[in-house]
Amino acid sequence: MLIFRSSLFATVLLVVCVSTSWPDDKIRYNRDVRPILANHCFACHGPDEDAREADLRLDHRSNAVDTGAIVPGKFEESEMINRIVSTDDDERMPPPDFKKQLTDAQKEVLKRWIAGGAKYELHWSFVTPQKPTPPTVVGAKNSIDRFIQGQLIKQGLKPSPIADRETLIRRVTLDLTGLPPTAAEVDAFLADKSPRAWENLIDRLLEKPAYGEHMARYWLDLARYADTHGLHLDNERSMWPYRDWVVRSFNQNLTFDKFTRWQIAGDLLPKPTIDQRIASGFNRCNVSTSEGGSINEEWVYRYAVDRTSTFVEVWMGMTAGCAVCHDHKFDPLSMREYYSLYSFFHSAADPAMDGNKIDTPPVMRITSPEDKKRVAELDVRIADIDKQIRSAALALDYVDPVSLDPRPEPKSVESIWFEDNFPSGAKPQATSDAPLRLIGKEDGPVFSGNQALTRTSKSAVSQDFFNGGVSFTIPKNGKFFVYCFLDKASPPETIMVQFHSGGWKHRAVWGKAEKIPFGKPKTTEKVSMGPLPKLGEWVRLEFTAAKVGLKPSAKVEGFAFTQFSGTVTWDHLGISATTDIANDPAWSWEIWKKRNQGKRNNTLPEGLRQLVRGKPAEKWTEDETKRVFGFWLTRFYEGARDSLQPFETQQAALEQEKEKITQSAPITMVMADLAKPRESFVMLRGQYNKPGEKVSRGVPSFLPPLPEKPADRDYNRLDLANWLVSGKHPLTSRVVVNRFWQQFFGVGLVQTSADFGTQGELPSHPELLDYLAIQFVEDGWDVQDLVKLIVTSHAYRQSSAVTPELIAKDPSNRLLARGPRFRLDAEVLRDQSLYIGGLLVPTVGGKGVRPYQPPNIWEPVGFGSSNTRYYKQDSGDELYRRSLYTFLKRTAPPPFMSTFDAPNREQSCTVRGRSNTPMQALQLMNDIQHVEAARNFAQRILKAGGATDDEKARWAWRTVTCRQAKAFEIEITLDVLKTHRKRYSKDGKAAAQLISYGESKRDESLEAAEHAAWTLVANLLLNLDEVVTKN
Amino acid sequence: MNPAQRFHQLETRRQFFRGAGLNVGSIALAGLLGADALGDGKAKSTASDVHPALPGFPHFAPKAKHLIYLHTNGAPSQLDLFDHKPQLQKYFDKDLPDSVRNQQRITTMTSGQARFPVAPSKFKFEQCGESGIWMSELLPHMKTIADDIAMIKSVNTEAINHDPACTFVMTGSEVPGKPSLGSWLSYGLGSAGQDLPAFVVFTPSFPKASQAQALFTRMWSSGFLATKYDGVALRGTGDPVLYVKNPPGVNQSDRRSMLDALNKLNQLNYKRLGDPETQTRIAQYEMAFQMQTSVPELTDIKSESKSTLEMYGPEVTKPGTYAHSALLSRRLIERGVRAVQVLHRGWDQHGSLPRLIKGQCMDVDQPTAALMQDLKQRGLLKDTLVVFGGEFGRTVYSQGTLTKENYGRDHHPRNFCMWMAGGGIKAGVTHGETDDFSYNVTESPVHLNELNSTILHCMGIDSNRFTYPHQGLDQALTGVEEVKPVKAILA
Repeated sequence: MLIFRSSLFATVLLVVCVSTSWPDDKIRYNRDVRPILANHCFACHGPDEDAREADLRLDHRSNAVDTGAIVPGKFEESEMINRIVSTDDDERMPPPDFKKQLTDAQKEVLKRWIAGGAKYELHWSFVTPQKPTPPTVVGAKNSIDRFIQGQLIKQGLKPSPIADRETLIRRVTLDLTGLPPTAAEVDAFLADKSPRAWENLIDRLLEKPAYGEHMARYWLDLARYADTHGLHLDNERSMWPYRDWVVRSFNQNLTFDKFTRWQIAGDLLPKPTIDQRIASGFNRCNVSTSEGGSINEEWVYRYAVDRTSTFVEVWMGMTAGCAVCHDHKFDPLSMREYYSLYSFFHSAADPAMDGNKIDTPPVMRITSPEDKKRVAELDVRIADIDKQIRSAALALDYVDPVSLDPRPEPKSVESIWFEDNFPSGAKPQATSDAPLRLIGKEDGPVFSGNQALTRTSKSAVSQDFFNGGVSFTIPKNGKFFVYCFLDKASPPETIMVQFHSGGWKHRAVWGKAEKIPFGKPKTTEKVSMGPLPKLGEWVRLEFTAAKVGLKPSAKVEGFAFTQFSGTVTWDHLGISATTDIANDPAWSWEIWKKRNQGKRNNTLPEGLRQLVRGKPAEKWTEDETKRVFGFWLTRFYEGARDSLQPFETQQAALEQEKEKITQSAPITMVMADLAKPRESFVMLRGQYNKPGEKVSRGVPSFLPPLPEKPADRDYNRLDLANWLVSGKHPLTSRVVVNRFWQQFFGVGLVQTSADFGTQGELPSHPELLDYLAIQFVEDGWDVQDLVKLIVTSHAYRQSSAVTPELIAKDPSNRLLARGPRFRLDAEVLRDQSLYIGGLLVPTVGGKGVRPYQPPNIWEPVGFGSSNTRYYKQDSGDELYRRSLYTFLKRTAPPPFMSTFDAPNREQSCTVRGRSNTPMQALQLMNDIQHVEAARNFAQRILKAGGATDDEKARWAWRTVTCRQAKAFEIEITLDVLKTHRKRYSKDGKAAAQLISYGESKRDESLEAAEHAAWTLVANLLLNLDEVVTKN
Repeated sequence: MNPAQRFHQLETRRQFFRGAGLNVGSIALAGLLGADALGDGKAKSTASDVHPALPGFPHFAPKAKHLIYLHTNGAPSQLDLFDHKPQLQKYFDKDLPDSVRNQQRITTMTSGQARFPVAPSKFKFEQCGESGIWMSELLPHMKTIADDIAMIKSVNTEAINHDPACTFVMTGSEVPGKPSLGSWLSYGLGSAGQDLPAFVVFTPSFPKASQAQALFTRMWSSGFLATKYDGVALRGTGDPVLYVKNPPGVNQSDRRSMLDALNKLNQLNYKRLGDPETQTRIAQYEMAFQMQTSVPELTDIKSESKSTLEMYGPEVTKPGTYAHSALLSRRLIERGVRAVQVLHRGWDQHGSLPRLIKGQCMDVDQPTAALMQDLKQRGLLKDTLVVFGGEFGRTVYSQGTLTKENYGRDHHPRNFCMWMAGGGIKAGVTHGETDDFSYNVTESPVHLNELNSTILHCMGIDSNRFTYPHQGLDQALTGVEEVKPVKAILA
């Protein structure tokens, strides 16, 4: 609800008077006078030094009195009054061209205030609260009620009676879990006659995982959490482990002081836990950009401003935005103080450009306990195989070729890449003219083994190939060989062998090279090897790896057998390398030792590396020699390859699995500071390129000081967090309890829950607020205790029915003579529908999901190369997860959220609006999510609702509202059911369409017209005012 | 709405419903949908409006009742469309004099360039109509409306990149979170449309060849105002308005029966709990039902004459095109909608500008001229303010390769061209001037805040008095400093 201070001041004053329970009714500075001065005078006679006129400041009593502007007790002598009542345009204040002129009523207030002594008060929220004693009120037990009812009595009002139990269980279940109660839960509660029935219910609700999910929602609005970067490309970012941590911390009832410390400075805690580091991601939730052309300094500055302003708003309930450009006009926050706070955030280690990456550093990978377990298992198995390799190697009867006489001849070693089939692990493909064909000896020529590859092509390029899945390494002096058999009756014009190594760039070709248009001729991409080989017999083709541009140790991930026309059969492709084994460290242990000792060899493990480098081989002990030799045998000795290969293949598979797990571990962006902090300056007029005076880290002077600075380091974010939750800070606990209050009552005790400064509204119940704030700290910042205290109060449990008198006296229910009633939030509306329809999938946590969304929400706004340009809807369970888990793209949020006032998370949001629009009606009636929920609800009604229409209607009403329907409600329901039934029994096609809308399967045994008719009834019930509202 | 005012509304509605018994739903609408209250300058803010104006609004008699804002997103080159600089030909490929650039900041896309060679426009310009407003050959149709518009050559802004600049041009702030122009208007003035939203947005298609910058829903969102002031997107694909279509197998008569029952039940609930929101909800469901008829009627252009359709060009019958959006814009304001915004993308030509800008102009030239003609012929232009332009301009120096035929241009916020026309605006004038390089304003600068102030002024609002308290500040579309409308172009 908005209030016009300027034009409607009288109204505001009236309402404030009605709803603010200050102990007496005299003119009070904070309540009555300060708002007038702030709005009409402080802009020129207030805290902002640069804007101050005539050296007069009216926010300080001494200055106002010294200058004669105010003469306490005598308004006639006060220059201020003379000026404001003056009819002379040159004299009058505010000046005639000033937008906000004073009303007579306001002038009167100022006169009375001066007459009463012109007493100033410190702004209430900057003064450390004292715990007030709750007034004694007959019948009020809960301390909240003693304050609330004490005030009601003064206003001549009475609290409403406790609401009925059905209303209550629905209210509190929605408030604590974001879901309605089931009929069984309602029954159980109604049957619980114990005096602790209510408390028991609350305890049960607090234990549900849904509690944390629901509470997290509110916090995520504050944290401006989303799944995209938010600016320009608005690409995806991985931040959801932070969202899941918020859920977890509410479910674990992490105390709010820790909740605070971890988020502001989790990274700075001693030996931070994984959760503490995840929590530090709070300061990474801000929007970021990577737009080409951006200037880095500008964005480093902006991110720090966002973090500072969010910090101030969330924990101190103040709007610091003004002080970015000038001293705050109304609050005592100077620009220098603002930039002193900013300095805490200005050295964040994240880059100015987010790189449009999902994992803009600094980030952390989080391995789940299951994955950790699996990785440990894999490590054990990998080590096992290591052992097997070692014993297999040691079992080899090794004779060093150096020791042989005569010295052995150079030896040719072959490795076979194709024999009988493409290598295992490869996925062979063939051109579309003919399928891949392997033939046995009975079908045609086979060179070796059991099968060969054959292909017939009609005047075209045709081939068999694979790419990926396995890889081969090119040896030193490698020479390829392959056997081919060209059919005499139908010879090809060209044949070619191709290799893929980072690309298809290595080819050998025989015959008419131009017939196969691959590769650039006369480069290693296409090397002509001469004419076609002889027809009608197996011919061995050979060419060196170097000739086709493959260097030793290059990896080959694919090869192809290609031809132009004719019939070609291929077999036995491999590579050979000739080596002088008596002079090769891969064959001779002596040679290896000679070449490596005294040198650094990085392929050796820690320990052996130092040994080989630092100690001559002849001085090695027997044990040392054995260790190095063992390692050489298993890792370097070529002669062991054949016997060790099976083990290595096995090991490689395990290592691959391990790699996959570690790589798939979720990433979350975390906070960290630069090793060398940036220098921070006051930025003149809030411009990133206009640094002024240098500032050091510190807190505003009107608030308690930081403890003394440690000798060895500067203040950091942890000091700042500790300062907030020390228990002495006048704002933190007030701001926090006020927000929880707002969550349950719709409006905070301070209505402007994001502004506790002097421009904010005064609290409706200042003493209650202080009481709760102190109690919260005394209870160790225990959120669940606070929640319990609130929901066990009479104020919370009373009926929300209103009378015209009550509306007249207290339109927005600030006095709480009735219970809270307001429309459910976006997420709750969708979740409730899914839940009642029996569709909701309660899985907790995980990556954002993409449920139903109309076409063209992302696409019309998305940047061409954004990875969130196209919305790809999920299917199955992901369609029915709680709304909390819906993927949130900031520049095009899901309509089910934005239509119902959910913020787009570009900025921190302390309180959502609560609008009531036709767009909402359209969505609740027609959105596939709600219609599908209705048809599933209808299915439940038909199957579980009872035998007769009447029973079914009653069951349905009970399920959606938790209460028993009244006779005329049933009557109206049955009437409309009849109408729908009549229509659908005549129009089978329409019925079939309606009951097949959405992905979920329906129970086909249900009669179609009946199901359709009840679907529209269910749709009606889910649209009831009572159902979309917390009553 | 303040509590007292809200209560007043509630009472009016409550009394109305009291006599109406259970069949209140359908009757409720009749009561809520009063006639257009915006006649002689002061809106009567009564409970009978679906979109009531704020009390005291408009501040003074408005010249325009409706706004059509044609936003060319990505920053069209003023040098190739409107800001004619014949002297540049002799500077071809010469360095932009330092005295002109004056060490202004430039984006990091070109700040690394070794030199800043001047790229004269390759397009021919001519003076159009009696007014002699300059336009290039790229805009043959727009030339015909030259005498109806006020060309402003000296518009300027601070932002040098799209995201902040787009956010600024539409919300008056580079930082996201502020209400858009259309939201401000529907908040302050409400709407005369009784069965359509007050503020409607189009995001039409753009040439495939163009690398389009992103749009952001924040460009039409309500920021810190209630979401009911959000722009409603009229879509080319899927439902024209989200969820306006009944689900398959449900027709309007099914919906009517369901709604009748719903209204009766909600009415009972109101009797039980007395919450005014329940009454509002009943009315909103009725409004939704009305929209289910009015939106298809709006988007059905069968009733348009052949000559009208021809005027907008061949694309006009394709939903989702700029031409189609332009025609619907007229249909919307005919139905009382307060603000219409068309956001056409693809104007960001860092390279291959001559080729790409042609495609862009093909999209918008004819339909824009047609819309103006159409409004004029129907006598709607006098009540409608039309605004045309992007978020900033482009540099005189080339980005990347420069030839006579091909060049690119980087971002240039220091001056660019926009035009305004219709209610409250002088026709056939050029305002503001730039130097020979279209690099600096030399005469009558118009900051975007002043432009927005001018828009509000035409709509009967003093931008300085149009504020909303948020975050401790009386927030205004045009910022905290006093801003004046551009008097010289006001009729």
